[in-house]
Amino acid sequence: MMDQLVRQYSRSPHQNEFYSEQEQHDLTEGLPPLSLKFSLPPVANHSAFLRAMTDDHSNPNCPIKLAHGTTTLAFRFQGGIIVCTDSRATAGSWIASQTVKKVIPVSRLSRGEDKPGSEPVPGLLGTMAGGAADCQYWLRYLSQQCTLHEIRHKRRITVAAASKILANLTYAYKGYGLSMGTMLAGVTPQEGPALYYIDSDGTRLPGNMFCVGSGQTFAYGVLDANYRYDLTEEEALELGRRSILAAMHRDAYSGGFINLYHVKEEGWVHHGFNDMNPIFWKTKLEKGEFSNVTSEL
Amino acid sequence: MSSPFDINGGACVAMVGKDCVAIACDLRLGMQALTVSNNFPKIFNFAPGTYLGLTGLATDVSTVSDLFRYKVNMYRLREERHIAPQTLANLVSSSLYERRFGPYFVSPVIAGINNTTGKPFICGFDSIGCIDFAKDFIVSGTASDQLFGTCEGLWEPDLSPENLFETISQALLSAVDRDALSGWGAQVYIIEKDKVTQRLLKGRQD
Amino acid sequence: MASIIGHNPHSNSIGYSFSQPTNAGNKEHSFYPYTDNGGSVLGITGKDFAVLAGDTRSTSGYNINSRYVPKVFKIGGDQETGEGAHILLSVVGFAADGLALKERLDAVVKMYKYQHGKPMSVRACAQRLSTILYGKRFFPYYVQAILAGLDEEGKGALYGYDPVGSYEREQCRAAGAASSLIMPFLDNQVNLKNQYIPGSGEGHALEAKKPEPMPRDTVEQVVRDAFTSAVERHIEVGDGLQMLIITADGIEEIYHPLKKD
Repeated sequence: MMDQLVRQYSRSPHQNEFYSEQEQHDLTEGLPPLSLKFSLPPVANHSAFLRAMTDDHSNPNCPIKLAHGTTTLAFRFQGGIIVCTDSRATAGSWIASQTVKKVIPVSRLSRGEDKPGSEPVPGLLGTMAGGAADCQYWLRYLSQQCTLHEIRHKRRITVAAASKILANLTYAYKGYGLSMGTMLAGVTPQEGPALYYIDSDGTRLPGNMFCVGSGQTFAYGVLDANYRYDLTEEEALELGRRSILAAMHRDAYSGGFINLYHVKEEGWVHHGFNDMNPIFWKTKLEKGEFSNVTSEL
Repeated sequence: MSSPFDINGGACVAMVGKDCVAIACDLRLGMQALTVSNNFPKIFNFAPGTYLGLTGLATDVSTVSDLFRYKVNMYRLREERHIAPQTLANLVSSSLYERRFGPYFVSPVIAGINNTTGKPFICGFDSIGCIDFAKDFIVSGTASDQLFGTCEGLWEPDLSPENLFETISQALLSAVDRDALSGWGAQVYIIEKDKVTQRLLKGRQD
Repeated sequence: MASIIGHNPHSNSIGYSFSQPTNAGNKEHSFYPYTDNGGSVLGITGKDFAVLAGDTRSTSGYNINSRYVPKVFKIGGDQETGEGAHILLSVVGFAADGLALKERLDAVVKMYKYQHGKPMSVRACAQRLSTILYGKRFFPYYVQAILAGLDEEGKGALYGYDPVGSYEREQCRAAGAASSLIMPFLDNQVNLKNQYIPGSGEGHALEAKKPEPMPRDTVEQVVRDAFTSAVERHIEVGDGLQMLIITADGIEEIYHPLKKD
């Protein structure tokens, strides 16, 4: 009981822990040099160029449309952390894909695959909102750094340290036009369940509950109303699912499949990638929710 | 910034079959990303077997449908007969052109069977009244590209009423499932001589 | 406010047709390095094969540059004949970027073979292509790419990309000018979206059809249908259909004329 209370009200004790000066030096040396690795356009203001070419918000006729639009959520509870996302990618009003995997395992690359079976997989989970490529690339890069950390230090990286690698990275590229809003979730012996929000502005926040993306407000609405720290595992999974469902229904840029994960001490467990459509109608017809939707002429 | 045609979202399609026509629309009304209503039909009845579908800016959809209800009622009182689809087409065209320099932001579609000839008739318009007569199908709305693809792939000549219903439903549902701004259920009208069948389609709710 | 109160004689907003005095200093002209060369590509996988197809028209604006410019390439094979290739790449968007990307991936796959003494797996190649695309994150390749081949189990594998390298393995994918026309058709015919089993129930109890891998001749027919439909309604698609089919026996190429109007 006491343990639980302590865990509930304490922030991760290691959130400010980081490397020694020497380690930091080694780490920065390992980072990719900014202008050598990525080719830049031959103009004075390259971020303005990039914006003109790819940002469909400021320029609806931009030639290169990047995938956007999302609802993702993660929250801490008594039994660990629930991570849940939708699966839609949009370019303007065009739905580019309904099957995007927006939860990205950040662990040894050989372990990162979703093999069938309910064995927990050690490692962290990252979520994807904003530019799909930015999230995929940098979370993969983070996996690489985490694996190196594991080899160098003979212990798994803390979520605090991993999130700081990512936050430092996005801060270094600030103004270049990256677009990502990501959550890192993991349970480590040092921290217990830990959850961080990192975005492309360089923000890094520890917290109990985050929703990110165009449908975040809808998800917060359901989540805030029904959240308790002492939710059972079943209840927590259902709450994650229901919050995403609400966002998919009301937000045009969210939809597709509900991707549900549970992170616990032994690692993360995948609880399915399920089409929202049958779940929606089941929720409506059996529980009488979503009465706004007509089912009879 | 955003085009008035894309603010509320919505899609409409009409198709010709053998001695029958069909017209179908989605049910969404949104404000940009936010879905406000999932019960906003975009097809209106103006005479037995004569239907008008309107997509575009929702306020103009309501205004234009009311305007034509008034005009068609006046026509019926004056002429003591129902308006034919062809006549309605010309009425829509000339009424929209009256607003040439401040148009209603709608893309109308007409489907019907002419009561005297018994021939199926469909046509579409741009927002200032240019008529597009077609022998196969007409599409409009935010999912028009997608509808062109599905209709062109699924439609064939001389479909029976049952097959026409299946074709137009598959075409519409698959099309709106690739458009973020339309969907959330659909309505279909199958129009035969002396018989109209109205059906509600269960669509994805995301 | 100023415009309401009075006309400022020194304002250079409206007035004379003489050239305006420009500010001294360097002026950078707008830099627009991209052209959209139109066209569409499409890929579908089956149990033991993958099909990648593209039209052969190349446009710029309303002009047709050529009626035969292939958009689907063999990767990792002989320079002239393409013999020995085991991966297919299709690129659509800006043809010059596409060609540069293809050359670069081809070199990478060949180097891999020479260094490791075995052909690169499609999975590895897919990840590498993503990294190549992301390398130009701040000056993107204006391309939408699709990669196809056979996976470790011999099943058809297909990967779809956005211009800066986000990728995903899929059953089918259309890209390019007419992708918005083709993709919903594919959802319906390949993934059987919105199709139900007749008589499996009433109303909400109706059971959805489950997609199954399609036989090769059906897939080829669907590809042809998709393109003949797209040609009718999109001006940037037409002239010819180039279809490359990869199986355990190698790569087969089929050319099919399309409408040239």
